[in-house]
Amino acid sequence: MSASAAPFVESMRAAALPASGIGWLDAARHEAMQAFLSAGLPDTRNELWKYTALRALEQRGYSARDESASTRMIDEGTFALPDIEGTRLVFVNGVFRADLSRLDDLPQGLSVQPLSRALVENPEPLRFLLSRHATEPRDSFASLNAALASDGVLVRVAPAAQIEAPLRIVHLGAQAEAAIACHARNFVELGEGACLRLIEHYAALGEHAHFTNIACEYVLQKSARIDLLALQDSAVGAALFRRSDFHLHEDAQLELHALELGGALARHELRIALDGDRSRAQTRGAFALRGRQHVDTELLIEHHGRDTASDSLWRGVADGRARGVFHGAITVHPGADGADAQLSNKNLLLSEGAEIDTRPALEIHADEVKAAHGATIGQLDEHALFYLRSRGLPAETARILLVRAFCAVALSGVEPQALREHCDALLLAHLPRENAQ
Amino acid sequence: MAIERTDLQQLLNRRYSAGFVTDIETDTLPPGLNEDVIHALSARKREPEWMTQWRLEAYRHWLTMTPPAWAKLNIAPIDFQAISYYAAPKQAPKSLAEVDPKLLETYDKLGVPLHERARLAGVAVDAVFDSVSVGTTFRKELAEAGVIFCSMSEAIREHPEIVRQYLGSVVPQRDNFFAALNSAVFSDGSFVFIPKGVRCPMELSTYFRINAGHTGQFERTLIVAEEGASVSYLEGCTAPMRDENQLHAAVVELVALERANIKYSTVQNWYPGDEQGRGGIYNFVTKRGDCRGDDSRISWTQVETGSAITWKYPSCILRGDRSVGEFNSVALTHHRQQADTGTKMIHIGRDTRSKIVSKGISAGRGQNTYRGLVKIEKSAANARNHTQCDSLLIGKKCGAHTFPYMEVKNPSAIVEHEATTSKISDEQLFYCRSRGLDEENAVSMIVDGFCKQVFRELPMEFAVEAKKLLEVSLEGAIG
Repeated sequence: MSASAAPFVESMRAAALPASGIGWLDAARHEAMQAFLSAGLPDTRNELWKYTALRALEQRGYSARDESASTRMIDEGTFALPDIEGTRLVFVNGVFRADLSRLDDLPQGLSVQPLSRALVENPEPLRFLLSRHATEPRDSFASLNAALASDGVLVRVAPAAQIEAPLRIVHLGAQAEAAIACHARNFVELGEGACLRLIEHYAALGEHAHFTNIACEYVLQKSARIDLLALQDSAVGAALFRRSDFHLHEDAQLELHALELGGALARHELRIALDGDRSRAQTRGAFALRGRQHVDTELLIEHHGRDTASDSLWRGVADGRARGVFHGAITVHPGADGADAQLSNKNLLLSEGAEIDTRPALEIHADEVKAAHGATIGQLDEHALFYLRSRGLPAETARILLVRAFCAVALSGVEPQALREHCDALLLAHLPRENAQ
Repeated sequence: MAIERTDLQQLLNRRYSAGFVTDIETDTLPPGLNEDVIHALSARKREPEWMTQWRLEAYRHWLTMTPPAWAKLNIAPIDFQAISYYAAPKQAPKSLAEVDPKLLETYDKLGVPLHERARLAGVAVDAVFDSVSVGTTFRKELAEAGVIFCSMSEAIREHPEIVRQYLGSVVPQRDNFFAALNSAVFSDGSFVFIPKGVRCPMELSTYFRINAGHTGQFERTLIVAEEGASVSYLEGCTAPMRDENQLHAAVVELVALERANIKYSTVQNWYPGDEQGRGGIYNFVTKRGDCRGDDSRISWTQVETGSAITWKYPSCILRGDRSVGEFNSVALTHHRQQADTGTKMIHIGRDTRSKIVSKGISAGRGQNTYRGLVKIEKSAANARNHTQCDSLLIGKKCGAHTFPYMEVKNPSAIVEHEATTSKISDEQLFYCRSRGLDEENAVSMIVDGFCKQVFRELPMEFAVEAKKLLEVSLEGAIG
């Protein structure tokens, strides 16, 4: 923890806290910065960071902002998704770009605003969200985010509003003169019975090694439903830390698809709290890694309400010298009777230098519970390969076909079909090319 | 139903049947731990200088360590200075005939077959009463086969070259807090040496007893199987009722050379504390087996029903090519017992295999945790592991937790883990009851079925004992 002299911490300390002119906000930011400075970066003795060492990150310094972020020429094609039009917010190197975003013609019941604008126009309703210790327990990155995030997205869906067209939040990392640190904080709240489709897209334009730290909080009121696709295709050199907190009230439903493809060091911490009775979460995810990538997914599901259900299916593929980390922890708290928790994590290890560390954990404090998890690490089935080759497929094609099939389960349910196919193609582009014997 | 309730209540309140204290004068060191105590302990046991130094090294390192806090256990801080580190029966008996009749009576109550019964059962018993071995049977028969089976203190005096070679080679003095403490103050334990090519003619067994109050018992067991040797070792224990928490920190080291086979079975039934969680044994054990040679095999089987706190991870280091590690466990926690137990399988050699079967049962306010690591090193081509981890919950206030870790660095390895948690369903109970079984019997039958896979791995006499133990331990869990 004696990281005070580390370049990373120094560069964060040097970054001026965003001044809002709002007393309580400045105070909260100052406090969060102090919390970060006294805690430093987590080390591997912390169970949640056991397989992700931050020594390399610690040695890097980042520029506090990209001065020309708001003027860079951006080709919209870099973050286009097929058949996905409509409302979107685009951030380039952490800065909101109104010119690239589309916020006119919002459907009835949907309110979307960049956080920076909301803070200028009417900060008071945000006081509760921003000054309390929203993301508890707060780790170093959450503190850092609370201190330095000056922008983000504020989404509110009115009770009973059914938002059919997907809303997109795009974080684009663009090549810049130096490595930049970006922080963003998102809030998404769905009113009672509301329904929203959301796509979080992390895209890259050119090579860069930026540090991005994003904290998202989702609140689903009674009977609300969210479909979320988190598509992470950052630059090869990027460091990306994300934390998503979900709070589900009675009968609320979360359906999540996550695809982790890019980044040199990418970590996504998902904390799903099934607070209300009969709330349900379904998560699907996959990572496909190569080179020296290190991708860490922490999936922490907490069952609090009665008759809650969670169902998680995650797949991982690691090639080259990549390292994939998965931690799926399910906690059924006292009183959460009738909980049904399922988790499956399967991984393919494709090369000598790659490593996969997986940790499915169950913590059960209630009776009347059905809980099961399974995890495997292995390689492609030789018999399946042989079968395909005997049907005339070249070795490489056969392999790719099998790996795609292996990951397909994580993408099933992504709508529309064109988007699912696009995700599949992205995954394919990340698969090993020449692994044939 | 009302009548049944009272019956259950009685059963529930039944005192621990093996709970009694044999009243024998013991030669005990005053409580506390420092270098003088270690010197005194070593001198009393007439140990050679190297052993004393070895203990001191461990002690000095122990001073720099802190008790591990990562386990899911709620432990009141332990005052290591309040414990007496040596207790031995005063008269050292020269033969069985000289053994204090009171001691023999104790074994009788526990059903340890020391004389004829031992022979009938075909078991050689090296009974450990507190800290010093008092009677060892079947020495001759074993000696003819070339097997050395004696107490650790005897081994240090009579076979120093073997002990020196292997002691601490699997669990080093500095391994962990409790292993370091054990290395510094271990009182006694068993030593088994099976020479090249010998299949041990009988199953070896040690019964442990913790007797004098305030005495921590620090057993140290070392089993070495040379090339092609094989042995099956049984460890079982009960302890008398005590109000203070008694500390137990044992170390067990197994060494299997080429083609050797070691099977280590444990039935642990130490005093678990009363319904309120008062008293009970603190059990911090480091057990580790080293498959040093190619084609060697180490198998751990344990039935853990006792102790207030169990912290125990029998592990296998699969160093030799094609070596095999196994771990079969049933752990039961009732009332306020806490168990954090599991295994580590470290695959280093090629074509190594390991299998883990863990069954956890929680009742009352018991907390039962499986914690396991399967690690496949880069060199372990074609390594294979399968882990199965099931938990059964009986009651609303208990907890069952599973924390498996899988680290794989070789692409030709296959590692699989599956875990389930469930309760005894009302349908199952109803079915049994409609067939005329009462609730208690129905539960016992379901639990027995749940554990069968592990019981199958136990030697016959142990399997019977284990089944009985579970029944007794679960009395009053339903109702």
